[in-house]
Amino acid sequence: MSIEIRGVSRNFGEFAALKDVSLLVETGELVALLGPSGSGKTTLLRIIAGLEYPTAGTILFHGEDAIRRDARSRQVGFVFQHYALFRHMTVFENIAFGLRVRPRALRPTKADIEARVMELLKLVQLEGLAQRFPSQLSGGQRQRVALARALAVEPKVLLLDEPFGALDARVRQELRSWLRRLHDELHITSVFVTHDQEEALEVADRVVVMNKGQIEQVGSPEDVYENPANPFVMNFLGSVNLFHARVHDGEAHIGPSTAPVTTAQDAATIGYVRPHELDILRSRNGGPTLEAVIKHIHAIGPTVRVELARRDNGELMEAELTRERFTELALKNGEQVHVKARKLQVFTEDYSI
Amino acid sequence: MAVSLASQTRALSPRRILPGFGLSLGYTVFYLCLLVLIPLSTVFIKAATLSYTQFWAIISDPRTIAAFKLTFGASALAAIVNAFFGLLVAWTLTRYTFPGRRIIDGLVDLPFALPTAVAGICLSAVYADNGWIGRFLAPHHIHVAYTQTGVFVALVFIGLPFVVRTVQPVLQDLETDVEEAAASLGATRAQIFARVLLPTLFPAVLTGFTLAFARALGEYGSVIFISNNIPLQGEIVPKLIMDKLDQFDYAGATAIAVVMLLASFALLLLINLLQWWSRKRLGMG
Repeated sequence: MSIEIRGVSRNFGEFAALKDVSLLVETGELVALLGPSGSGKTTLLRIIAGLEYPTAGTILFHGEDAIRRDARSRQVGFVFQHYALFRHMTVFENIAFGLRVRPRALRPTKADIEARVMELLKLVQLEGLAQRFPSQLSGGQRQRVALARALAVEPKVLLLDEPFGALDARVRQELRSWLRRLHDELHITSVFVTHDQEEALEVADRVVVMNKGQIEQVGSPEDVYENPANPFVMNFLGSVNLFHARVHDGEAHIGPSTAPVTTAQDAATIGYVRPHELDILRSRNGGPTLEAVIKHIHAIGPTVRVELARRDNGELMEAELTRERFTELALKNGEQVHVKARKLQVFTEDYSI
Repeated sequence: MAVSLASQTRALSPRRILPGFGLSLGYTVFYLCLLVLIPLSTVFIKAATLSYTQFWAIISDPRTIAAFKLTFGASALAAIVNAFFGLLVAWTLTRYTFPGRRIIDGLVDLPFALPTAVAGICLSAVYADNGWIGRFLAPHHIHVAYTQTGVFVALVFIGLPFVVRTVQPVLQDLETDVEEAAASLGATRAQIFARVLLPTLFPAVLTGFTLAFARALGEYGSVIFISNNIPLQGEIVPKLIMDKLDQFDYAGATAIAVVMLLASFALLLLINLLQWWSRKRLGMG
C-alpha cells in the first residue's frame, strides 16, 4: 500500500514541528526519514500512524484519505524505540495481542493464533522463547518481539521509530542487515526514522533527509550521498571539510589554488570536500594544491585519518587515505605536504551551518 | 601453619560490598523488639493466664463473633470500595490537567492528618437523619449514622489516601507508548484499560488495598462516633476490647486481642504473598 503525505503541517503551540511536508512512499518501498533531533521526523511518522494529528494537510493510504481513521483502524504496524512491550505478558501473549483483541467475528481460532505466533517467532528467530517475559530478554530480542507483534496483525504499512536507537553498536549492526533481509522477504511498505546516517544509507531504498520540519532532499542512498542538494545534507551525511572560496570564471579559488566548479556565479562561497576526496601528495605535481602540515595521524582500521593544518591560514582539515596509499607515502607528524581535492562541492545558495 | 591457614580463609571469605550490614540489621531487630515485639508479646502472656475453656468461652461469645464479623466485613468492604474509587481518583489526578488539581491532590491526604475523632463527629453530623446529606437519604429509609453502614462509611473515609498514594506514582511512570502500541494493534479503549493498564496497576492497587484494609481493622476513633456501638449490632472489636478493659477484664480483652492480631497477621501475610506473586509476574521481583 502506498502512502501519500500531502502538505502536512503540525504546530505544537508556537513551535512548528512540520512545515508543509509532502512525500510519496511507493508500495513495497523501505524509506528512511533521516534528520537530527527536532527535525520533525518522528512527528511525521506518528502522523502516518494516527498517533498524532496534523494541523493542516492530509495522509492518503493507497489513494484513500486516512486522516479521519484512528490508529486502531489504520492497519499500521508501529515499532517503538523503547519496544513498548506489555510487561505482564509472555512473548507469546505479546505477539498474539493484536489477534486476540479483534472483534469476535474477525478473531482467528485459538489454533490459528498459535500457528501464526509460532510462524512469527520463527521469522524473528526467537523460537523457544515464547514463554519468557520481556524482562527476561535482551534489548535486541525485545525489539524483535516488538517487530513480530507489529507484523502479527498483517499490517499494510510498517512504521519504525528509531528501532535500533536503544541498542548497543554491535546488536544495532546485526539487526540493521536483518531488517533489510526481512523487508526483501516480506515487501511490506515500510518507513523508519533514524538520526544515524549510516543506518539510513545502508538499509533504505530511499532516504528522506529532514531538517527543521522540512524535507531537504529525497533520493536513493547513493544519490543523496554523492549529489547532496545543499550544505545541510552534505554535512549531515558524513564529515566534511569546509574551504572559503571565491568563484570566478567557473573556477573556485581557494587560497593559492583553484578548482573547476559548475556554477557560473561569481561570488564568495564555501567549498565542501569529503575527507576521502582529499589526496595527500609529496610534491606539487603540477596540479592545483594547498600546502599543509600534518598535525595528527589516526592509523586504526582499514582507512587512515590524517589531520592537517593549512600553511596559509592555519585552518584544520581532515583527509582519509587507504592503508596502501598511507604506507606508500610514509607520512609522519609535522611533515609538510601538498593536499589536492578530487571533488569539490559548491552550493550557490547562501547557507549557514 | 594453622594460623596462616585461618588468616587465609578469612581473606578469601566473601565480604559484602555494602558496609554496615551487621549494625543496621542489629538496630532494626532491636528497634522492632522495643516497639512492636515486646509490647505485643505481653498480649500473649496475659491471654495465657486463661484456661482453654475460658479462652474459648470469650471467643465464641455471640457478642465477640458479631464484633469480629462487623470489623472484618466492614473493613474488607471499605478497602474494596477504596481500591476502585482510589484508582479512579489517582487516574483523574495523573491523567488530566484541570484547574484545582493541586488542591484536590492535597485534599486526598486529609484523612491521614485529621484526628479520627473529628472525622467521626463530622461524618455522623453530616450523615445523621437530620444532617446535610442524611436528610435526603432518610426518606428513602437509608440510615447511615448510628448503623453498620456508618461504620463502613467511616472506614472508607480513613482508607482513601492509601490506594490513591500507592497507585499514583505507578500511573505517573506508565509509558504512554504501551497504550499507543495497543491502539495501533487494534485494541479499543476498553480493551487497553482491561488488558494493558489494569494488569500493570494491579500490584499497586493491591498494596493500597492491603494498607487501607489494615488501617480499617485497627480504626477506633472515627467509628466510635458514627456507630451506635450497641453489642451484636454496631460494635467493632476495638470497642469491645475497650469495654472489657473498662470492666477490668484484662484477660478477656487480651484474648480477643490475640485472635484479632493473629487473624490480621494471617490475612496481611496472604495478601503480601499474592502481591509478591503478581510482582514477580510483572518482572519486578
